[in-house]
Amino acid sequence: MADNPPIIYLNNAATTWPKPPEVLEAVRQSLALPVFGSGRTTGSQGEDYITLAREALSGLLAADPPEHVVFTQNATDSLNLLIQGFFAGKEAGCHVLTTELDHNSVLRPLYELERQRRIRLTVLPFENGSVRPDSIEAAITPDTRLMVTTQGSNVLGSVQDIPRIGEIVHDHGISFIVDGAQAAGHIPVNLRNLPVDAYVFTGHKGLFGIPGTGGFYLRDPESIAPVRYGGTGTDSFSLSHPREMPERFESGTHNYPGLAALAAGVNYIASTGVEAVAEKAERQTAFLIGELKREQNITIYNESPSLPIVSFNIRGMENDDVGFILARAYGIVARTGLHCAPLVHRAIDGGKGCVRLSLSWFTTDEECRLTAKAVKEIARNANSSFGSP
Amino acid sequence: MRILRSVRHKSCADGTFMKEFILNAPVTEGFFSYLGNFGEVEALPNLGDGFYKFEKVDWFSIKGFAGDTTVEVRFKKEVMDLTVDFLYLLFSSYREGTVDLSVLKQREQAVGKRVREHLYGS
Repeated sequence: MADNPPIIYLNNAATTWPKPPEVLEAVRQSLALPVFGSGRTTGSQGEDYITLAREALSGLLAADPPEHVVFTQNATDSLNLLIQGFFAGKEAGCHVLTTELDHNSVLRPLYELERQRRIRLTVLPFENGSVRPDSIEAAITPDTRLMVTTQGSNVLGSVQDIPRIGEIVHDHGISFIVDGAQAAGHIPVNLRNLPVDAYVFTGHKGLFGIPGTGGFYLRDPESIAPVRYGGTGTDSFSLSHPREMPERFESGTHNYPGLAALAAGVNYIASTGVEAVAEKAERQTAFLIGELKREQNITIYNESPSLPIVSFNIRGMENDDVGFILARAYGIVARTGLHCAPLVHRAIDGGKGCVRLSLSWFTTDEECRLTAKAVKEIARNANSSFGSP
Repeated sequence: MRILRSVRHKSCADGTFMKEFILNAPVTEGFFSYLGNFGEVEALPNLGDGFYKFEKVDWFSIKGFAGDTTVEVRFKKEVMDLTVDFLYLLFSSYREGTVDLSVLKQREQAVGKRVREHLYGS
């Protein structure tokens, strides 16, 4: 066994690593001078990282105007703000749609509202990695007010037909919140054309920021009530929270180093080109799947993903053991278990969970080759020799 | 063999509580053979220096690679308070060569009774 094999990091769907050097430098720079918060600081030497990040995101996602891009701690925080804010002040009892593909960041806030009898919830099943548009149409009732779903599955790497789903729900006057945590930075997203009311992103995955940043784009600020109040550095004489964007949803001190990193990460993606990122990911993912498919006792759950994710199990082995062996014997960091998406796993593997390999722009072809070799080696050994010493 | 410290903790979806332990010496095939006196041991000897997994149903499982000073232990959460001391005893009682199992077996029996009562009421 290698004592300290070099790390092959394939847990990028959780958090990307490594980060571009520009991101690390941005964090350093952001802390090298006093922070400059627009409206809060009179100094002029530091960068206004908040505005830089907002404009960078607005540009990458075609999210107009930039002030409608709101910063939060992460995607889960964004989804909680949007879901809680959507129902704040509304009468209890309306109907909400979500899907089995969704992450607990969507499911848990909605299940909690259902438990409080504030909503009725329908969780739509999926086929081939997506929810069928006709099943959405069929599930809509006269009191359906909201649909919340993911753009890209963090287990299957599938990308849902958001334009079609948005069209259906909007035809029925239903609001549409999309969780883009897995998609942003991996595939082109154009919010100018996408029929969504709110789009959630996280900073530390495909956008190459650091953990502790995320946010959302909100088309109509009045559609969501703020559920947090506090200092904004603006209109401070008023004891009421500002209604203007983005202050409506941003109170308290921002995560300046985090937003500096996010701006740098987004600019890195923009200069690289999302299309180039997607193309490389597609090629490497197809290679991994092709290699793993050759082993009879490997079950792959997503043979043609749109995101760089490969989910599999080795027959006769617990996924957690496979992850342990990959890490300890080969230095390969994967993710095992349920990936915070229990309903996906209930559908694909009976809820046992699986091993997930997830790539990033920085994953090399050699790392893919070594990983495929390692997984196949484990599978061959599982086949032949699991027994007492 | 001694447990020096635990470095990572996690509640797992399967109802277990995982702790990663750092040991004062690397585990060996012999250590897992010794554990076999108290439960099931499975091995993939051709991976690295050998991957081993010990399972004591309803108590805990231990997995690791021969030659490694780190092992991962998963406790059944409901009875972890009852079994954790036995785990430490299993490690501290092990030494190369023949190990006197009589004290461990007595302790296993006593803890086992309490585990069964807690889990199954009998």
